[in-house]
Amino acid sequence: MEQYFTDSQLLYLALITITAPFLSFLFGQFFKKYAVLWGISSISISLVTSVLLFFSVWQNQVLHYSFSWIKLANIQINLGFLLNNLSVIMLVLVSFIALLVHIYSVEYIRKDALKYRYFSYLSLFCFAMLCVVMADNLFLLYAFWELVGFASYLLIGFWFTKRRAVHANKKAFVMNRVGDVGFLVGIMILLAQFGTVDLQTLFAENGLIHSSFVQNGLWVSPFRSMPSAWLTIAGVCFLLGAAGKSAQFPLHSWLPDAMQGPTAVSSLIHAATMVAAGVFLLLRISPLFNEAVLTLMASIGLLTAFMAASIALTQTDIKKVLAFSTISQLGFMVLAVGVQDNASAIFHLSTHAFFKCLLFLAAGMVIHQLHHVKEYTETKFDEQDMANMGGLFKRMPLTAVVFIIAALALAGLPFTSGFLSKDGILISVFDWAGHRGGLFWIFPLLVSITSWLTTFYIFRLIFKTFFGDFRLPNIINVRAEEMHLHDPNNWMKVPAVILAVCCLGLVFAINPLSLESSWLHHAFVQQAHENGLLHLLVPVYINVLSVVLIIAAYYIYAQGRITFSNQRTWYYQFSYQQWYFNWLYDKKLVALVLWKSKMAFWFDRYVIDGLVHFSAKAALFMSRLSDFCDRYLVDGAVNGIASIMSRFSVWFRSMQNGKLQHYFVWMLLLFLGFMIFKIII
Amino acid sequence: MITLQHFLLISAALFALGLYGVITRRNAIQILMGIELMINASILNMVAFSKFDRAENTGQVFGLFIIILAAVAVAVALVIIMNLYKRVQTIDPSKTKSLKG
Repeated sequence: MEQYFTDSQLLYLALITITAPFLSFLFGQFFKKYAVLWGISSISISLVTSVLLFFSVWQNQVLHYSFSWIKLANIQINLGFLLNNLSVIMLVLVSFIALLVHIYSVEYIRKDALKYRYFSYLSLFCFAMLCVVMADNLFLLYAFWELVGFASYLLIGFWFTKRRAVHANKKAFVMNRVGDVGFLVGIMILLAQFGTVDLQTLFAENGLIHSSFVQNGLWVSPFRSMPSAWLTIAGVCFLLGAAGKSAQFPLHSWLPDAMQGPTAVSSLIHAATMVAAGVFLLLRISPLFNEAVLTLMASIGLLTAFMAASIALTQTDIKKVLAFSTISQLGFMVLAVGVQDNASAIFHLSTHAFFKCLLFLAAGMVIHQLHHVKEYTETKFDEQDMANMGGLFKRMPLTAVVFIIAALALAGLPFTSGFLSKDGILISVFDWAGHRGGLFWIFPLLVSITSWLTTFYIFRLIFKTFFGDFRLPNIINVRAEEMHLHDPNNWMKVPAVILAVCCLGLVFAINPLSLESSWLHHAFVQQAHENGLLHLLVPVYINVLSVVLIIAAYYIYAQGRITFSNQRTWYYQFSYQQWYFNWLYDKKLVALVLWKSKMAFWFDRYVIDGLVHFSAKAALFMSRLSDFCDRYLVDGAVNGIASIMSRFSVWFRSMQNGKLQHYFVWMLLLFLGFMIFKIII
Repeated sequence: MITLQHFLLISAALFALGLYGVITRRNAIQILMGIELMINASILNMVAFSKFDRAENTGQVFGLFIIILAAVAVAVALVIIMNLYKRVQTIDPSKTKSLKG
């Protein structure tokens, strides 16, 4: 590919990409009237520069600019960009989806008084995410990683008057901190081992990680060596960090609660930005992971994917279903990194970004319309509960169509983007298990089941929401015609349609049935899949059963022909209660932490404070004592002398009374005294 | 026989009387008179002691000297008393206290 820009021009482009959202964040705070304008224009600029960077870097070169930032003894930390294939695809993805979400938000948040704050926070969020993507060292990555967490905290709690929203953003923040500790420890281990945190130096083809090796239980780097256990620990620490951000087991429970934020924010957080950061981190540092960590990662990904899919089966809140779907899909990506199929992980990250964003935006449209109904008819109902929906296809046809396209992509049916990326992961898992054999066959089994569950829960959602009878009129006793339900206006429609187009397989591959023809997958692939029977068979048997499940879901939820009352069974409750993780965390972990902090409080109150108070009292006593000494002994001596002098001088003065004869007497006495003195001596 | 002791006793008595007068009187003139008595007591002493210096009569010369000085002093003292009276309309020394510290 030929070079369109010089290096310095590319550097400026990269700077503009991140500066624009940051300026928008500041302007949004100060020039509140135009916050929407700042937000949309800045992210558009970022998108344009991202695309330019993309075409300069993609499959062509690696850009690495670094400026010295911190120098500590022999450790140097830089400030810089690292743009390689992974970065630029993420850049385009983030800025593109963020732009669509910005546009969508204009309508979604139109009536909110704090609109300027919303757009300002969105810009901050985009700024942080773009910086995460471009950061050239782990330290910088960590800093912006935290900023992403903070911005998401602000956005999840955007409706801060809602008690649950405040609770949710606190929960997201705290759970992310747990993961971040892992990340930080991982950075420290790498810094100790290699003395640098630069991504290019560490993880490039001929980087330090590749030149280090494990020998005789020692992890040897060109500089020093440490016990090989630290390699595993470092990997696990980074995995923990990624699990926190990407909502993997056991740190997943913040994400469903984060649904309390505006739906557009959920869409942004879930599609391309916050949760993708975890997977992005894993991909950036993937050479670090050894066999043990990779297996652990694959297990966590698999468990998360399966768990979240099983939970999504029974949720009644439309956004909760999508939230668990996100967790499940992220599980797929982590699983893909775990089985060392980075190409599929990146591919799935990209395709998932589009269809999950679309799912949320479309769900947001439904919620938005029902919210209008709620205000219009002045009734009370939960606009996110699927029990209040049904039959919306006729009333909101475009919303339903784009939702179904996205759902097909999520289910991974042919001719959609999801088909390509999910098949990549499935085949890799089959290959991986095939090489290992034995117990590892659980992986493909569970992955297949999860894949079917995915199809089932998303079509359950569709049939409950868009097909069957419209249940709301009977619930609030308002006739359906009076509700004026319709598709939203173009601010919402256009982004949704653009995303729907991006969900098609043709966007990613010339032949939408062949993973190998996908340009995105092709760019990252390290070793091609073995062209075996698996490659043909896996998509077929997954999809055939998926279609069967869709039909089943149609009969169960749209037509109501098959009903089964399983709400009281333990497995229904187990799924509905989200595997009791919240219960476990609240009752056990949080209670434990609270108990510990109460103990700490007690210790602080009575032991530490007691010591402090005691020493204060001792000091007070000492100062009283010295006050007494000063006042009565020192001052007493001084005052005593002074008063003696004054008495004496008063008496002495009284001699000088001006009476002539008194002077005579004194003279006489003095003379006599002198004489007596003389006589005695 | 009149011995030296008699002179000295009379002189001492005279001096004591003069001193008493000086200390106790409330009139400047009377104080002056006390002073005169004391001077005379000392002259008496001088004259009495001159018995031991027949050759040069130093005692008597001193006596004469003191008489002249006393006369001069009386003159000066009287002038002071008169000026005092002019100034404060009294010659009671206990009432003139403008020098009191």
